Amino acid sequence: MISPFGALLGTLTRLRGVRASLVVDENDGIVVESNLQIGQDGDRVAALAASLYRKARLSARAARLGTATFMQLEAERGRICAAGHNDLVLVVVADPAANIGMIRVEMIKAAGALP
Amino acid sequence: MADDVRRWSDELARDPASLVFLPLGETLRRQGQLDLALKIAMRGLERHSHNADAHDLLARISVDRGELQRAFDEWDMVLRLTPSHVGALKGMAFVRYQQGNTAEAEQYLQRAAEQGGDAAIDAARAKMRGAGQGARDAGRGAISDELPARSAPLATHHASDSRALFADILGEHEQTALLLDDQGLVLAGVYLGEDGSDVGAEVGAELSGMTDSARRAARHLDIGDWRAIVLETEVAVVTMGPSAGDGLLLVAASKATPLGLVRRVLDRCLERARRWLEGGR
Repeated sequence: MISPFGALLGTLTRLRGVRASLVVDENDGIVVESNLQIGQDGDRVAALAASLYRKARLSARAARLGTATFMQLEAERGRICAAGHNDLVLVVVADPAANIGMIRVEMIKAAGALP
Repeated sequence: MADDVRRWSDELARDPASLVFLPLGETLRRQGQLDLALKIAMRGLERHSHNADAHDLLARISVDRGELQRAFDEWDMVLRLTPSHVGALKGMAFVRYQQGNTAEAEQYLQRAAEQGGDAAIDAARAKMRGAGQGARDAGRGAISDELPARSAPLATHHASDSRALFADILGEHEQTALLLDDQGLVLAGVYLGEDGSDVGAEVGAELSGMTDSARRAARHLDIGDWRAIVLETEVAVVTMGPSAGDGLLLVAASKATPLGLVRRVLDRCLERARRWLEGGR
């Protein structure tokens, strides 16, 4: 079966420092499609990232900041980036030294193409 | 004057970030168009939340509307931003005078005189020392300049020193910062809403809830302690970082502000918060 998100995820995963890229259902945190490096637990990443993005989106709306378009969690040994569209969330896990500017641009562009 | 109002209004329509809202708001206030003046001042403060003159304008409008305590709080903010602001000191003296607190009013006049206030201040202080209603009426004009005299019940609110903790870091940019404790309660900073009121408590409570999710995600994904969250929305860029005692520092800026700049401002504010929480500034 040809995945509708394969090319999109492939583009993201080729960016320097990207360990995993996924399309996740925001409501239940289930993986729709993923492109993972060895050792990445896609289900866990999907559930946690979707939960975090959902929380960010709801918090932003409650704080009257409008619709969330991009979120990044920066930690000591990695980053989680998320951009949503409708009920889908595009998630990227990256190294601390990754070019986050490039990842952000590509993710926002790709999120806009989600159905 | 009508031409000026039209010109300033046109300029503000062309450039909403223009500072012409200051003379425009003041002119409307003097003309008695208080609702319109208030609207102009509020919009100006949204974009220039750390501009002392903007807070001064809002204070003057508030006095005209009979909102003495609000005026006092705005002048208090002016002093946090510009400690030598004679107009704010005179305004606060006026409010305290109207509230019947002559002793405190005189203290503010004393401070205004020390900052190089005019002869009218000395005259007001001299008359105030004479006490009595006659002196009170005579002193009113000198204290308040062109501000109308209104009465208001004595309020007990005192603005916190901590509101302007990050003011010099944020400058005149469209940025704001809040320091929250582990319960999501505001410790320092200010966040002005669309109507110019401080909505820091509300925004802080909503956004601080994200940190639990961030902590959980970082732990389960084994990527170490979280250092920052960047959240972009249609209208704003919000960055958050952990502060001492499981607290949270939040910096928000308009969407037009470069992301890297907001991130650097967050780092500077975190350092300021750390020193402040340790007891110094």
